Amino acid sequence: MILITQPNFDITTQWISCWSTEISKLATDRKIKVVVLDGIRANRKEFESVIKKISPKLVFFNGHGSDKTVFGHKNEPLVIMGDNEDQLAGKIVYSLACLSAKTLGPECINKGTRAYIGYIEDFIFFHDITKISNPLSDQIAGMFLEPSNCIMKSLIKGHTTQMSWEHSQQCFKRKITELVMKGDRVSINTYLPHLFWDMQNQVSLGDPNASL
Amino acid sequence: MTQEEKLIQDIVIARLNTMPSNIAISIGNEGEFSKKEIIDHVKNNDNIGKKMIEIQLSYLQSLKNLTDYLIPEQHDTYHTA
Repeated sequence: MILITQPNFDITTQWISCWSTEISKLATDRKIKVVVLDGIRANRKEFESVIKKISPKLVFFNGHGSDKTVFGHKNEPLVIMGDNEDQLAGKIVYSLACLSAKTLGPECINKGTRAYIGYIEDFIFFHDITKISNPLSDQIAGMFLEPSNCIMKSLIKGHTTQMSWEHSQQCFKRKITELVMKGDRVSINTYLPHLFWDMQNQVSLGDPNASL
Repeated sequence: MTQEEKLIQDIVIARLNTMPSNIAISIGNEGEFSKKEIIDHVKNNDNIGKKMIEIQLSYLQSLKNLTDYLIPEQHDTYHTA
């Protein structure tokens, strides 16, 4: 079972939550039960209730974050270090939330989380503002969000956390290679530095052999 | 600001100036920024501007090992995973 949070209250959460819908579809296609906490349902009460009721093996956070917190809808804290990180004990976590792998991630591992993949710095992406009615058609955002989704796709296919992280790193490198080969000024000056940034700040903590 | 810091700031602004006008940047909790807004942050040398400088410098330093980050198509194992 997989739990996915999809807050949706600003451009960033709109884009990443929209891009995460392909993950729930892939899991469903593979007969894996998925519970999605979208919009206002991405709140702490619902989150803790679902964790208790269905005990998902994999939790996929989309949203904002800090070094000690993962947030839900309208930045309501879902997981706070020193408060409720034990909710993630025994689970594999992928957190597409800025900074959360810096301090919260290691503490989750200390408290029994099997593996925690996330970012030790801000996750940065570019997006095309003309695609606001359909963020999934935004190929610029896709350069950044496809490597992120690669983590979840790989985990759903049964790969280990280490392999899933490696697949994502490889996906980043494929995007970097494409941009270098393309060689235009926007790609080189604008997108490339931030792809490097996201790739280099993505970490996998805990058991490298953990899998669904 | 030293001459060197000013030079780096100018380089980052020049690079960000290539952003198309329909593209915006999302920086985690900081929010979303248009080309003009993000360049203004760099000019103001505030926290967001400093982050942009850090990212560009980190990238430029990575260039000496660029080949470590490139994958020839035949070595791309993801699609067979």
